[in-house]
Amino acid sequence: MTDKPAGAALLEEARRTLLETLLPLLPPDRRYDGLMVANAMAIAAREAGQGDAALREAVQRLSALFPAAATNENLRAQPLELEARLASEIRAGQCDAPGVRRDAVRDYLRRSVTARLRLSNPKALL
Amino acid sequence: MTIDLAADAAAQERLVRFVAAAAGARRATIASLAPLRGGAIQENWAVDIELEGGANAGRHALVLRTDAPSRVAASHGRAEEYALLKLARAAGVAVPEPLWLCSDPAVIGRAFYLMRRVPGIAAGHRIVKDLSLGGPRDALAERLGQELARIHAVTPGAIAELARGQSFDFLTPASNNPGLDRVQLYRHYLDGLGDPHPALEWGLRWLELNSRPSHEIVLIHEDFRTGNYLVDEHGLTAILDWEFAAWGDPMSDVGWFCARCWRFGASDREAGGIAARAPFYRGYEAASGRPIDPAGVRYWEVAAHVRWAVIALQQAARHLSGVQRSLELALTGRIVPELELEILNLVDAAEGRAA
Repeated sequence: MTDKPAGAALLEEARRTLLETLLPLLPPDRRYDGLMVANAMAIAAREAGQGDAALREAVQRLSALFPAAATNENLRAQPLELEARLASEIRAGQCDAPGVRRDAVRDYLRRSVTARLRLSNPKALL
Repeated sequence: MTIDLAADAAAQERLVRFVAAAAGARRATIASLAPLRGGAIQENWAVDIELEGGANAGRHALVLRTDAPSRVAASHGRAEEYALLKLARAAGVAVPEPLWLCSDPAVIGRAFYLMRRVPGIAAGHRIVKDLSLGGPRDALAERLGQELARIHAVTPGAIAELARGQSFDFLTPASNNPGLDRVQLYRHYLDGLGDPHPALEWGLRWLELNSRPSHEIVLIHEDFRTGNYLVDEHGLTAILDWEFAAWGDPMSDVGWFCARCWRFGASDREAGGIAARAPFYRGYEAASGRPIDPAGVRYWEVAAHVRWAVIALQQAARHLSGVQRSLELALTGRIVPELELEILNLVDAAEGRAA
């Protein structure tokens, strides 16, 4: 797929038109809807611009936490499987004791949340 | 399905007949009717009604409140909320006067009640930014502390006297460890939603390990925050949105009010984005005689972010499942990482790590 502009760039341009041209024409009680549409487009544009990079990174970080886990060829299924394992480990108290495991899990959670925030709301990271 | 009361003449006719009978009037007519922007859970209408005859003759500025399609688990229906408004009024809390409850869904399509319309603005982002609203901010925070203290004065032992025969059995009971109750409830909700959420589990495990028995169980509002009270240019006019009220730990409402996720961007004003904690705590302590327990408040601030994240996931699930397609609900799902970051920060801080 080489046609240009790419999807992310199109979304960004569409969003600019919405904010600069259309939003001022909306009645005041519909302004919030316009802003929500713009926000949804911004999130989608960031995700589209990033492609599979975030998923690949997530898999890499999770594989570091679970080195013995079998590799799943499905890029989307793998992080879900390992995150489910992590979630039950945490719930079962297996990451409670101060030490290497707890620190590694803490570090993973922060990186994972930060990566998702970069897509959903990068302003929250400032 | 939304009820379009403004376009439904037959529903309006049934409404005025209900009001006339409830108010003891010869006749009721609608002088004006307009939708008010509500939350994701209710629909509110501003309605002016002219009553002829009877003790209430004259024009009445009212709000009609009914269920919206997207009720979330654990929220009360209109009949319960109506009873809670009466209870709050009896306890001296500033609330809109509840007037008439209609439990018959045949009248406008769903149960509803009418209350007196109180002037003011509730929108959190406006109150936080526009300093001409709400009067001096320290005084507003202090007053909110006093109002919260009045709510917390309602205890399981004291409720009978205020309730005037109304049953409040619908209020979710609390064990002597309400924090642990919540951990179990939120895990149950998460399990029902399917996808794993390890950062929320991290917060839940911390809440489990750090839960403590509560010294006292009181009536808690459960959504006492900026965005759910009305202010005019002078100060507070009403505490709204009682649909989550329950029995619980008094510090849980304090933590919810101060939680970073309800500061509407004004993160350095830790009491609801409007003031420092000190005036809010001062108002609460003076009116309740109960000292604020800072460790308890910290605990409930972690719980607040977990709770809001779980509710956000439930709201997003309503959209994703097709039960209620809505951009607002869809976007609510994307605030979860922000809440998770704060959970990680709060747990780190509690464990003596720099956030």
